[in-house]
Amino acid sequence: MAEERTGKSESKKSQVMRAPRNLDIEITARCNLRCRYCYFFNNPAVEYRDLSTDEWLTFFDELGSLGVMSVTLAGGEPFLREDLSILLKGIVRNRMRFSFLSNGILIGDEIAACIASTGRCEYVQVSVDGSCPEIHDSCRGQGSFDGAIRGLRTLQRHQINATVRVTIHRNNVHDLENIAHFLLDELGLPAFGTNAAGYMGTCRVNANDLLLNIEERKEAMATLLRLTAKYPDRISASAGPLAEGRVWRRMEEARVQGQPAFYNGGRLTACGCPSNKISVRADGAIVPCNMLTHITLGQINRDSLTDIWQYNPVLNQLRSRHTIPLTQFEFCAGCPYIPYCTGNCPGLAYALTGQVDHPSPDACLRRFLEAGGSIS
Amino acid sequence: MLLSLLEYWGEQSMNQTDRPIANPIVVLREEFDDWAVLFNPDTADALGTNPVGVAIWKRMDGKKCIEDIVSEIRTNFEDTPDNAFAEIEAFVNVLAENGFVGLELEKR
Repeated sequence: MAEERTGKSESKKSQVMRAPRNLDIEITARCNLRCRYCYFFNNPAVEYRDLSTDEWLTFFDELGSLGVMSVTLAGGEPFLREDLSILLKGIVRNRMRFSFLSNGILIGDEIAACIASTGRCEYVQVSVDGSCPEIHDSCRGQGSFDGAIRGLRTLQRHQINATVRVTIHRNNVHDLENIAHFLLDELGLPAFGTNAAGYMGTCRVNANDLLLNIEERKEAMATLLRLTAKYPDRISASAGPLAEGRVWRRMEEARVQGQPAFYNGGRLTACGCPSNKISVRADGAIVPCNMLTHITLGQINRDSLTDIWQYNPVLNQLRSRHTIPLTQFEFCAGCPYIPYCTGNCPGLAYALTGQVDHPSPDACLRRFLEAGGSIS
Repeated sequence: MLLSLLEYWGEQSMNQTDRPIANPIVVLREEFDDWAVLFNPDTADALGTNPVGVAIWKRMDGKKCIEDIVSEIRTNFEDTPDNAFAEIEAFVNVLAENGFVGLELEKR
């Protein structure tokens, strides 16, 4: 009994779900810090202005009507919003869950109690980049370490799921062991995630000082892989040295053994985000991802999110990126890793090459090895 | 099984009926090809369901008993199996066990 007698099932079947499951929302363009590798600031494509409370609440009503399940509130620094408790009520009223990406400094008891009282918070992610103030503050500014840890402890006290993201750069690459000990043993966090500073936003200005060179990437990979053995299932990564270390080892093993192509290999299959979620900038522009903020798809409260999600040709083109074979790129010519490669992050590809539909040079294993890298 | 939401709704001086009612906090998220996800934002629990499940969900308004719902499903869907009542009852029980459904209450 699968066919309802409405004729509905005979209509054209959509290749995407009817609405995004999740949204990444830059709820403010303001920040109390100016981190030296911040991807958010120094982006000429972005208009740095905030929307009013009512504008966000109207948008949350639309999300609720579409059955969106959760939103991730970022910025800027989301805890700078003076109306945060009102915005959270709007999210809760519309039957959604929420998460935060924060530097932690402004998280006090009052807002933590408010978050906890909703019962809808997935997690609050706080950025911690060092095991001590000297290292953390070197990129984030004086006093930021103490503030971040104070925020983390406040979250823990209110039994909110507090997570940490460590962004790896030249100043903390030698501190990873201490960071893991500090976060997991001393603070007692269940786990933390890692990534690496990328050539975006403010980091473009400071790239020579902050981006990992080949030797530092090798060190970061080796250290993190060792730490994941010491702390099983407690250190994660979807990008950066740990993710690369894992993926590149699998790719090399496959190449050596002559394994068949990976199911997602040989084409620009990374990433799948545009099929599950969409992003909104602080000025209300709807964009595919907060790494692709130059691609404006529409404006909240003016354009229908459903229409954008289902029919926007640019978004659909991004979704079909996975059909583009790596063999068509001169950059990939002769590469033995093509059957196992996904081309990696389109945002970083755009930042480095000016093209979204291009493999990311930063994530290229062959290039890494040719530059003296190793994955043993 | 179907009483799991009675305490949740705090109706101490009421009698339960045999009419299932969808938990109003649960979101019916229709996805591909009339399939859907039922999502409880309070617990983050989610259940996938086929078009028949969606049709059942939409009929659990606290006014129809399971027999009424089965009858409507038989009317609206082709090839409804003989054991539809048992299947639908089992489906409603799963929803109830997960806090997605309760029973309508009425004053004594």
